[in-house]
Amino acid sequence: MKNYIAKRILTTIPLLLCITFICFVFINLIPSDPAEVALRIRQTPVITDEAIQAVRLELGLDDPFLLRYLNWLGDSLHFDFGVSYTNPSRTVLGEIARCLPATLQLAGASLLIVILLSLPIGFFCAVYKDSWFDRLVRGLVFMTTAMPAYWVGLLLIWLVSIRWNLLPTSGAGSWQHLVLPAFTVALTYISTYIRLIRNNMLENMKEDYVLYAQARGLRQGTILVKHVLKNSLQTCIVAIGMSIPQLIAGTIVVENVFAWPGLGKLCITSIFNRDYPVIQTYVLMIGTLFILFNLIFDIVQALADPRLRREAE
Amino acid sequence: MKKKLMGIILAGMLVIMVLSGCASQAAGNTSSREELVFVNYRDIRDLNPHLYAGEMYAQEMLYDTLVEITENGYEPVLAQSWEISDDGKVYTFKIRPGVTFSDGEVCDAHAIKANFDAIIKNKERHTWLEMMNLLVSVEAPDAETFVISLSEPYYPMLTELGVTRPFAMISPKAMKDGSTKDGVNGYIGTGPYVLTDFVIDEYAVFEANENYWGEQPAIKTIRVKVIPDNQTRIMALEKGEIDLIFGKNMIDAEAINKYTSSEDFSVELSEPTSTRQIVLNTTNAILNDKTVRQALSHATDKQSISDGVFHGLEKPADTLFAITVPYCNINLEAYAFDMEQAATMLETAGWKLGSDGIREKDGQKMALTLLYNSDSVTEQTISEYLQGEYGKLGVALAIKGEEEQSYRDNMKAGHFDLVFNICWGIPYDPQSSLSGMRRPVYGDYAAQLGLTDKAEIDQKIGQILVSTDETKRQELYTDVLTRLHEDAVYIPITYECNKALFTSELKGVEFAQSQYEVPFTSMYFE
Repeated sequence: MKNYIAKRILTTIPLLLCITFICFVFINLIPSDPAEVALRIRQTPVITDEAIQAVRLELGLDDPFLLRYLNWLGDSLHFDFGVSYTNPSRTVLGEIARCLPATLQLAGASLLIVILLSLPIGFFCAVYKDSWFDRLVRGLVFMTTAMPAYWVGLLLIWLVSIRWNLLPTSGAGSWQHLVLPAFTVALTYISTYIRLIRNNMLENMKEDYVLYAQARGLRQGTILVKHVLKNSLQTCIVAIGMSIPQLIAGTIVVENVFAWPGLGKLCITSIFNRDYPVIQTYVLMIGTLFILFNLIFDIVQALADPRLRREAE
Repeated sequence: MKKKLMGIILAGMLVIMVLSGCASQAAGNTSSREELVFVNYRDIRDLNPHLYAGEMYAQEMLYDTLVEITENGYEPVLAQSWEISDDGKVYTFKIRPGVTFSDGEVCDAHAIKANFDAIIKNKERHTWLEMMNLLVSVEAPDAETFVISLSEPYYPMLTELGVTRPFAMISPKAMKDGSTKDGVNGYIGTGPYVLTDFVIDEYAVFEANENYWGEQPAIKTIRVKVIPDNQTRIMALEKGEIDLIFGKNMIDAEAINKYTSSEDFSVELSEPTSTRQIVLNTTNAILNDKTVRQALSHATDKQSISDGVFHGLEKPADTLFAITVPYCNINLEAYAFDMEQAATMLETAGWKLGSDGIREKDGQKMALTLLYNSDSVTEQTISEYLQGEYGKLGVALAIKGEEEQSYRDNMKAGHFDLVFNICWGIPYDPQSSLSGMRRPVYGDYAAQLGLTDKAEIDQKIGQILVSTDETKRQELYTDVLTRLHEDAVYIPITYECNKALFTSELKGVEFAQSQYEVPFTSMYFE
């Protein structure tokens, strides 16, 4: 098992290098000169060649492409990710550190909502298959999967904040501010997981062990919760594991609608501003997260399922 | 089992509803009417007054300049009065006595000299202001006198000193070794407000400056929230979380229209701040012909665009600069919308209708591309409209939207046939905009290259800037603007204006000459 983990960790290093390099190449393919863009962002009315040259020098943009990549890479090993092009008084690490907690908070709250809602709903849908409840939920799931997060977010603000006057429209600061954005992010995932749990349960209910349990005279409730649900959760655990980095990376639209000061907002602004160091670091971070969670949940799954463990060894 | 679970869920929901209900009620009662909640789409960022990275409205709140540009001309601020030598080269300012920075430092001529020195240390950043190139020396012979000497007379000098940056004064104590180009130690100015609290990307709080030399503002606290999304901003206003939305692109025409007859909210629109226009590339083989350019001007129905796209909020534009812009009220005759005349003109120019409905000349089709900024929904709508309109005339107009930065790159490089543009607006119009046409910085330069009198136009613009005689200057402006108008390089579309949407309890919402300034000092609650 230890060997397996060590091997997995070692293989991530070239993978991360590939990700950052490809990302760097692609950003550099965008034609605009980051120095000039930085000047535009700073609302300099006439961007003279002198000013562009001064900024290029300031940002070290005159170095050849490969050297800039290697410099960035070397510095990142010491957790020095450079300064933001558009606002050189801010370091990239500082920017990420500032935005990460807000995004983690949002992703965490969403995950909690996803688990709390999809688990019981999925369970009851399977148990009462084709009842009015199941039909209603399936209809809702179908609808919510099709609704864009941006639109849902605005509808929720209009309904909950303005019509019912229950929660603030946007911003951050208290748990009230968190409810609407977290629910908006969670909505897509809730639909996915309800379907997943429901289908897994229905599959499992057809298995022979359910019949044996019934033959042993176990109570229906015990069979459903202790056996069917537990077996159905296997795939869900892995799916949730991969959903965590997705949640962290996927809050972009919602953060903008709700003025939530997190990573998604930072990333979008940086892309439009050609802020290479920030984009690079963001990609590196998200890449690391995906690989890390993939690894953790592979291990968890191996621990939970002895068959996989034997295969790995 | 099932009942228990349902019970828990219901109880949980009840608790949340009750708690949030209490919380939002409590929040509703605490807003004091000496506090104004303002909103912006982004953070205030770096408010160093000598650099360009901060939000201008916030810099205007914290810092003062020597003079101010108003409707009635230049008004004294830190300079109480000034004299200009007869040759127009030496400016002598009497500095207002008794002004202190919010950290207690005295703001006398020596402090102002220290500021100019810091700005000059970073000269290459400021050469877009022509005066930086003409600057010979700055001196403070005594605490109340400040003298600027130029190598040549330069008439927009006071305007350039009056724009938000870089000539705003920061406490010399906040500088780093007498320099500001590598950042400052604090945003300490002499303006009506001081910055007291600030969380990046969330909010900033400004409090009235107790040591302010002028009249104390009625609104003591200004809280600025960051809300990037247009729709969310309006909903936050509806809910009472913010009091004022202000700016050119902060509210769309649809929303303004919805609130014009509302009792709870008021709408104000400013005079034109800048012109939306389409720039025609005169180096393009088709557009090189003046008659073709004029025909396109005649084929553009600005009134319909104003009504249809802007609900009449942005008035149709007749000339490159509105007549309210200094030196621009020169009786130019607008190109009236007249499809028949446009068609006749194209016929005269040799462009005959082909069998496919597209005009041709010497085997060449009349096919042009209009470039626009795809981040702008309005530009896209207008482009689509023009595509249809010009199509009726037999012009095959392709439209191409590009993301803002590459749109700007293409504009600068001259990679366009027709392109959307917005001129800089007041107070940079007309002098800085015209000055900018002489350099390959914006689309204007590239677009004008095909004009036979381009060199002459550039030379006259140069003369305008150094002219000392008012009549002569007006003559030169009239000449340059008339040439550009008759050459039909620009199709003016509409005049942009500043828009304010605010709670009706807020009074005194006005517009300053500088389009980026939000005049908080005149506002009060009723």
